[in-house]
Amino acid sequence: MAGSGSLPCAIGIDIGGTFTDVVLADETGVRAVSKRLTTPSDPAVAAIEATRDVLAKSGSDPADVQRVVHGTTLATNTILEHKGGRIAFVTTRGFRHLLALGRHARVESERFNLAFDLPSPPVGLALTFELTERIGPRGDVLVPLDEASVVTLAEALKPLDLEGVAVCLLHSHTNPLHEFRVRELLESRLDTPVVLSYDVSPETREFERATTTVMSAIVRPVMERYLRELESRLQLLGIAAPLYVMESAGGVLTVEAAVRRSVSTVESGPAAGVMAAQALGMQLGVDDVVAFDMGGTTAKAAVITAGRPGITHEFQVGGHGSFGSRRSGTGVPIRVPTVDLAEVGAGGGSIAWADAYGTVHVGPHSSAAVPGPACYGRGGVAPTVTDANVVLGYLDLNSAAELPDFDAALARQAIEVALAQPLGVSVETAAAAVYDIANAMMAGALHVVTVQRGIDPRRYALVTSGGAGPLHAAKVAERFGIARVLVPPAAGVASAIGLLTSDLRSEQVRAMHLSGDEVAANEVEIAFRQLEDQGAGELGASDDRVGVVAHRTLDIRYRRQAHHLSIELPDKAFSGSVWADAVQQFFEAHREAFGTGRPGPVELVNLRSSSARSVGRVPFRRPNPGGATATSAGRHRPAWSLAQRSMVETPILERSVCTPSSGARGPVLIEDLEATVLVPAGWSASFLEDGTTQLDRETVTT
Amino acid sequence: VNDVTASTNIDDEIIRHGFLIAAEESAITVVKAAHSQFIVEGSDAGAAVLTRRGELVAQAAATSILHSGGIAETVRAIIEDYPLDSMVDGDVYIINDSYRGGVHANDVTVARPVVIDGRVEFFAATLIHVLDLGGGAHGGINAQAQETFEEGLQLPPLHLATAGVRNDELFKLIELNSRSPVETVGDIEALSSGTLVCSRRVEALVAEHGLDRLHGAVDEYLAQTEAWTRAEIAKLPPGSYEGRAVIDDDGINSDRSYDICVRVTVEGDTLGLDFEGTSPQVRAGVNSSASQAFDSAVFAVRCFIDSTIPTNDGVFRSMKANFPRGSMLNPEPPHPCGGRMMASYAIVDAIVEALSKAAPDRRIARSGMLLGYALAGISGNYWIHNSFDFGGTGARIGHDGADATGFHFGVGRNQIPQVEPIEARCEVLCTGVELIADSGGAGRWRGGLGVRITLEVLEDAVASIRTDHFETPPTGIDGGGDAMRSSVYIVDPRGHRTDLPSKAANVPVSKGCLFVLETSGGGGYGRPSARPIEEVARDVVEGRVTPGSARDIYRVEVRQDGAVDEAATEILRSR
Repeated sequence: MAGSGSLPCAIGIDIGGTFTDVVLADETGVRAVSKRLTTPSDPAVAAIEATRDVLAKSGSDPADVQRVVHGTTLATNTILEHKGGRIAFVTTRGFRHLLALGRHARVESERFNLAFDLPSPPVGLALTFELTERIGPRGDVLVPLDEASVVTLAEALKPLDLEGVAVCLLHSHTNPLHEFRVRELLESRLDTPVVLSYDVSPETREFERATTTVMSAIVRPVMERYLRELESRLQLLGIAAPLYVMESAGGVLTVEAAVRRSVSTVESGPAAGVMAAQALGMQLGVDDVVAFDMGGTTAKAAVITAGRPGITHEFQVGGHGSFGSRRSGTGVPIRVPTVDLAEVGAGGGSIAWADAYGTVHVGPHSSAAVPGPACYGRGGVAPTVTDANVVLGYLDLNSAAELPDFDAALARQAIEVALAQPLGVSVETAAAAVYDIANAMMAGALHVVTVQRGIDPRRYALVTSGGAGPLHAAKVAERFGIARVLVPPAAGVASAIGLLTSDLRSEQVRAMHLSGDEVAANEVEIAFRQLEDQGAGELGASDDRVGVVAHRTLDIRYRRQAHHLSIELPDKAFSGSVWADAVQQFFEAHREAFGTGRPGPVELVNLRSSSARSVGRVPFRRPNPGGATATSAGRHRPAWSLAQRSMVETPILERSVCTPSSGARGPVLIEDLEATVLVPAGWSASFLEDGTTQLDRETVTT
Repeated sequence: VNDVTASTNIDDEIIRHGFLIAAEESAITVVKAAHSQFIVEGSDAGAAVLTRRGELVAQAAATSILHSGGIAETVRAIIEDYPLDSMVDGDVYIINDSYRGGVHANDVTVARPVVIDGRVEFFAATLIHVLDLGGGAHGGINAQAQETFEEGLQLPPLHLATAGVRNDELFKLIELNSRSPVETVGDIEALSSGTLVCSRRVEALVAEHGLDRLHGAVDEYLAQTEAWTRAEIAKLPPGSYEGRAVIDDDGINSDRSYDICVRVTVEGDTLGLDFEGTSPQVRAGVNSSASQAFDSAVFAVRCFIDSTIPTNDGVFRSMKANFPRGSMLNPEPPHPCGGRMMASYAIVDAIVEALSKAAPDRRIARSGMLLGYALAGISGNYWIHNSFDFGGTGARIGHDGADATGFHFGVGRNQIPQVEPIEARCEVLCTGVELIADSGGAGRWRGGLGVRITLEVLEDAVASIRTDHFETPPTGIDGGGDAMRSSVYIVDPRGHRTDLPSKAANVPVSKGCLFVLETSGGGGYGRPSARPIEEVARDVVEGRVTPGSARDIYRVEVRQDGAVDEAATEILRSR
């Protein structure tokens, strides 16, 4: 197996609701790809099979694997499906109702609703407990921790069969000693992990600190079990390299960090798709792109402007309203940086159905990996978007290795029974309706991140990925007047490649509330060094920290102002003059943001340290496997014409034999290994050197 | 349902959202730059884009619905005093005059014309409750005021900046009239910053789409909104519906209560609101400025029509209201308007009562009232904790009331400051924020609970409060029980309790005393004995209802371990 030509390489594992995608890549690009149906009962099964597959296909020695990076929807699913650990919430006496009272914002549609209901808190009152203790706002102990009350609490918690305890004591960000002691006392008496708010989100405002802690405790046991298991199974394959997990802002964490800060992975999978689009854009010199990823279960859209994706610092789990997950007070807040994206529950596996009035709907139910779309031949009978694409001739999965039982007749039958017969239309017409409705839903996600943010999408290029994305991208783009669509090499597994395009990253923060004249250089320098040590530790850096780059930031505000601005510091030891410069920069930044920035007394609020360790990014490239230069030899099949509304003979091209000198005009279907690109009439395709397929709108119609 | 993405011309949509984003960013800027805790912790900033005629185009989502019309009217007052052709880029205006669209002294509007090629094309405006503008009580909560002059510095339309140059003289005047000049000036500058960010956004829209296109889209948007609102009004059964609500007292004349009376007339697609019969204006702080009365009325009507209609001038145009001149909803100077929250609540309650006759499925028991208060340090180092909390919502068919989240004005608990930032700035120690068991009116559907806030005062301070309904509780309907009333009291270190009236100013609270606020619950709906046993048991387990009330009122026996004693319950319920 281990060829002598084996090179250091990396593996990306992206587990979605329907498919598990694994790529093996090195500095030349993607060397092997494997796609498997996700195994929901034990997601590691498909991941390991696919990993074994890419090792074999590429002839790589497992010992040459330098890192494995994982994108997972585990945290999100755990929270949204309420499958997380059963946990207790512990807080300071007098604040038992902290979560129950909440900080709910009534958005537009709720504002005039006389019958609105408050969302139920993430931990109910029956599992919420109080301790006698009190820290003051400056870290002073006002009421010492009553250790007997902690012991009593431990006794009360013992019979509850808990998987975690979340502790958020008032003002613990200024003095964590009570939280530390509570953990010590509880962990010595209970066989349950205790998550402290100081470790998860050491910043002021007790509600967001509490919910971030609670969510962390809920996700942590599930995440830990899963990652440890995956790690050991990878080791059984002979892979000794460390496992990393993508976090919600697109950075990469070690397993230890991912467990400790499990909520940071809440948008892990979706972030990978955005990182892929960002990497492709950088490679092609396109700075403004809309990332559009359509997989089996969901579709996501995000905007990358000037090469940078939007990042939000407070993510609302289950958030709603016109600003989606970034609107404060609409979901359960978690205070972690997250890629700003919109998601709709519609993908290739979404089930299409007709209501009593003859209207066709797509979703919200999904056939997921089990049983899967009808055409997979795995027992599914409900028609899905994928079945519609098969009926329309857009998709031919006969040669898909992961789907040995594929049968196009089953797709026809499913659409016939569930849609065509009840509606009294042809099977193709019914399938075309499903295709159109799916496009409208995808457009909804794009709408949220562009038009609703006041961004005109027309100056952006659409980068599409996911197994279903390239079939729908051009028609979705048309709705917004987007004239260029970029389909990356190996588009069907682009998120898995996106996992390998990021640096390892670690963000540390410490609250340090001082008035400007109290700032002591020595104290700040020591604190920064401690944060940098923590960061380097999380990145698994060696003692000499080779390859680790750390950036320092100070949060500064005017005295008696409540919100701060973050000011980046130069790369040198903290001193009085560094502080003086930072304050000057604060005045300037304030003037820039708010129009006024007169010199005045300021306060230091937080120290932040951001460490990154470069691990050798993988280029977005798939070396041409066959190296063929001939154009395809006149293959055709009947496919639905969106213009003529009927089935017509449509040319089929193989992406692997398309070269930069060749081009194509729609309608044409371009088949790649993991995805098919639909080039509708009015669009032309060109083939870039790196393997990207570029679609351009030929004429502008309205 | 409007499939926005199906629109063939997405320009209109981009423009509409562009205005919304401009307002949204403006509000965020104000919150981030403001100094007073009331604003920055509660995210309570109003921000809007208006036409050159002062018509509301778009507002920030967090804008209290109570401020929408007020902002527009104050901008029109500015235009009245300063002709549009006299305005230049960089002009910024300020106003708080209650009789010209303002709310009360502390609710300050700042407006900036958006000037394109020398012509005013739009206005960017922001509004917040600034920390202190003097007057008879700290934080602008002077429930004892008999004239508007006792409520704080009155500001007619004035230049805050002229052609980009800050009006230092006006700032000096404001500083000298404020107990907390740093925060107050910081708040006003934050308002100005918000308008600057907003106007930059609007200028970018002009550059992108062109003025003609932009004005066309705005006209279309407002016209469509009006047509939509009217179509919704036409769905209500035509007729004339009456409603009434009472304000317990005015804080000065303890023997007087006040009536808010409304007749709502639905005729085709027009809706009229006539407040004839409402009590006359009074020399006490329970009147409401006309702009606030109108905003309250619009809010209440919108609870009965499509909730997704956007908030802009199109909504306002489609309703006609009569607030008799000289009544407490359209007072003449110098009748104080600072306690307009009382009148607002009563307006909403009266309209909801009236329209419930047209739409009986929307009947709702009365809700607990907002309790506004301020605690201020008086021993040297000045600090002020200016805040409020909500009562419980009344129950409705199929819904228990929400806890400590009144429905009036549609705001949520995200408006309430958190404890850590309060303690970091004020000499108070909060020893509890707790739901009050049994405070919600009992019923088949239970009223929402009130909340108890306990603040230990660490330095000598004075307290001011302004609320109502310490006498008459939020009532239940159809056999549902009344809710617990609100109260405010001081407990001294020896445990002695002193109750305060609902309207009080500058009450001394000595170091070491507890200042305790309890908001009322919401009324119940339907007979308590009809409430399913398992719902009563859950309320007991979660501490919303005490075991005693479960037994005596709901007739359910819940044991100490939370299980229902079925035999005992059967006997109780069969009586």
